[in-house]
Amino acid sequence: MELKMIKLTKQFGDFTAVDHMNLTMTNGVYGLLGVNGAGKTTLMRMICTLLQPTTGKITCNGKDIYKMGADYRKFLGYLPQDFGFYPEFTVRDYLLYIAALKGIRPAVAKKRAKELIAKVGLSKAANKKMKKLSGGMKRRAGIAQAMLNDPKILVLDEPTAGLDPNERIRFRNLISELSEDRLVLLSTHIVSDVEYIANEIWLMNDGRLLHQGTADELIHSMTEGVWKCYAKKSDVPALMKRYKISNIKSEPQGVELRIISGEKPFPDAVREEATLEDVFLYYFGEKAGADDAVI
Amino acid sequence: MMLLFEIKKVLSKPLNKAALLILAAVLTIGSLLTIRDVHYIDADGNSSTGISAARHLQKEKNQYEGYLTEKVLKQVIQENAALNSSAGAQSDDIQEKNKTAAKGQGFADIREMINLAFGELDNYDYCRIDSVSEDEAGSLYKQRIAGLKNYLNRDDVKDAFPPDEKEWLISKYESLDTPLYYAYADGWKALMDSQYLPTLLMITVLIIGFLVSGIFSDEFAWKADSIFFSAKLGRGKAILSKMGAGFVITTVLYWSAVLLFGFIVLAVLGFGGGDCAVQTGVSNWNSIYNITYFQDYLISTFGGYIGSLFIATLAMLVSAKTHSTVFAITIPFILTCIPPFVGRLEAFARIMNLFPDQLLSINKNLEDFSLYHIGGNIFGGVSVIIPLYLILFCLVFPVLFVVYRRTQVK
Repeated sequence: MELKMIKLTKQFGDFTAVDHMNLTMTNGVYGLLGVNGAGKTTLMRMICTLLQPTTGKITCNGKDIYKMGADYRKFLGYLPQDFGFYPEFTVRDYLLYIAALKGIRPAVAKKRAKELIAKVGLSKAANKKMKKLSGGMKRRAGIAQAMLNDPKILVLDEPTAGLDPNERIRFRNLISELSEDRLVLLSTHIVSDVEYIANEIWLMNDGRLLHQGTADELIHSMTEGVWKCYAKKSDVPALMKRYKISNIKSEPQGVELRIISGEKPFPDAVREEATLEDVFLYYFGEKAGADDAVI
Repeated sequence: MMLLFEIKKVLSKPLNKAALLILAAVLTIGSLLTIRDVHYIDADGNSSTGISAARHLQKEKNQYEGYLTEKVLKQVIQENAALNSSAGAQSDDIQEKNKTAAKGQGFADIREMINLAFGELDNYDYCRIDSVSEDEAGSLYKQRIAGLKNYLNRDDVKDAFPPDEKEWLISKYESLDTPLYYAYADGWKALMDSQYLPTLLMITVLIIGFLVSGIFSDEFAWKADSIFFSAKLGRGKAILSKMGAGFVITTVLYWSAVLLFGFIVLAVLGFGGGDCAVQTGVSNWNSIYNITYFQDYLISTFGGYIGSLFIATLAMLVSAKTHSTVFAITIPFILTCIPPFVGRLEAFARIMNLFPDQLLSINKNLEDFSLYHIGGNIFGGVSVIIPLYLILFCLVFPVLFVVYRRTQVK
């Protein structure tokens, strides 16, 4: 399975959400990392044929996916960022309905739904109405629906958003488990989501691809170093203006800072190993706001 | 399978469940009120309604069952005169008057036909029969045609119809099979000649519109659109299932309401008389449609069905295009509630006669003289509006598929 984006562009009026992207994906897990508004969701929606590109095209094994229509969508499993469902449906009914939408025969759908309900740990909630599920349970139902047709292409848009740490880890492991022998595109602004499971990470900003590579390759692409140092609390605002600070930790004597800088910021600063989170801050700088780069 | 799930989506919404309960309540109340329309006055002058009253009235009226020949009409004129001159009719006591009225219940319908035939077409005179002689009785059917001709030649009317339309109207009157066959048909008259059926149809259509308005737009409200459209059949068979759900809900709800209403009313008031011409009812004496009450029921309910399908489809189209259930819900309201008011304005009256709300009240439009020229032929409004909206429905329904299929999820 090869998915290729050729000069892919999507404009909404004057705003360019995706700007001439050229990418090729084969089997494996691709982590799409970027701040809010980087164009990740627009890109994913085009991959899922929900949006038509303004220019350019996406091909699947050489064929235009918009011309393939249902023949392409049969390969697709999609968990959108705002995962919607039918509130009055039970989990089982919901999955059977989505299975019908995916063209799965009822007998096969029943078996598949049962397997997936067990796999995502919703067996006890199978007859519960969707509206009664917790956030984590809804997400698990969401991944189950995406997997119903055993998709060759699995697109997950911010799958762990809003989940508590336990649920996130559990969900991450589940995705890792499901990612064998298929093409998985995982979009997130949560660095740790992709750090452990993605074979390749794409950094996206303003509709363009900034960098791509493995976590190590991206870390080594940084031209600045990461430093650990200590400062007075009162100096922090001034330091934040001067440096990119990836972490601030309060200590009894002051604060411990993690600074990204080309030069040693303080004489007593100690060089640290960079992480993907530092990479995120390094490339996205001020745009990496409060919602972004969460561990 | 998908069709069942689509129907389940609609019927599982709490607000839609409430709408169905409202429809059930309206149906029950409407049936009771319609049944109460038929009164029987016993020999003591006491009025009653219900099954027993209907059976007594049926017995009284069926004494006159048969063709309304000159002999029968004469008999009615005689009996009416006799009642008028009785002590009870002269009495000031209401109870005594009621006792007299009870004796005239059997021929009350025929009396009304004589009043209408010998009176002016648009001016009802309750006592016209009192001045009709027995010798004139045989001219009742000719008098009906003469009444129309007089009306069409009146100064205030003569320019309203061109000569070919006048001829057409007269030919319709002349082609009525006479003598008319008469039997007790108060069940059918209560069902077809009252305002309850159009009111029930209007409320049914509003509720159907409420139910189907969310079929397409709720995917967006629930944010389920992304998964829907990215699924294999999301831009194909799944849309057909939604359309099918709208069609099934409209069909099942409409016919359930209409048939249940008809069955309840006729079961209580009697099924007899369906083969009588609609002109035997006071509301339809001037009708240009030479049909029986049963045919009136079939045409009116079929017309209402076409109207329901069209209005529901339009609501679904707005739902699919705007992704807004609220906008979609307003469509049935606009199409059924506003035209009756706008139609009162002279300038809009003619065009409003072709609005889909008219399909919900065909039984009340049988006396309407609005005519339309199509391909050199003249047609009455009822003959035009049903095929017109059947064609429009067939044209609009597939558009739903095209509109929804092109949806972009932004």
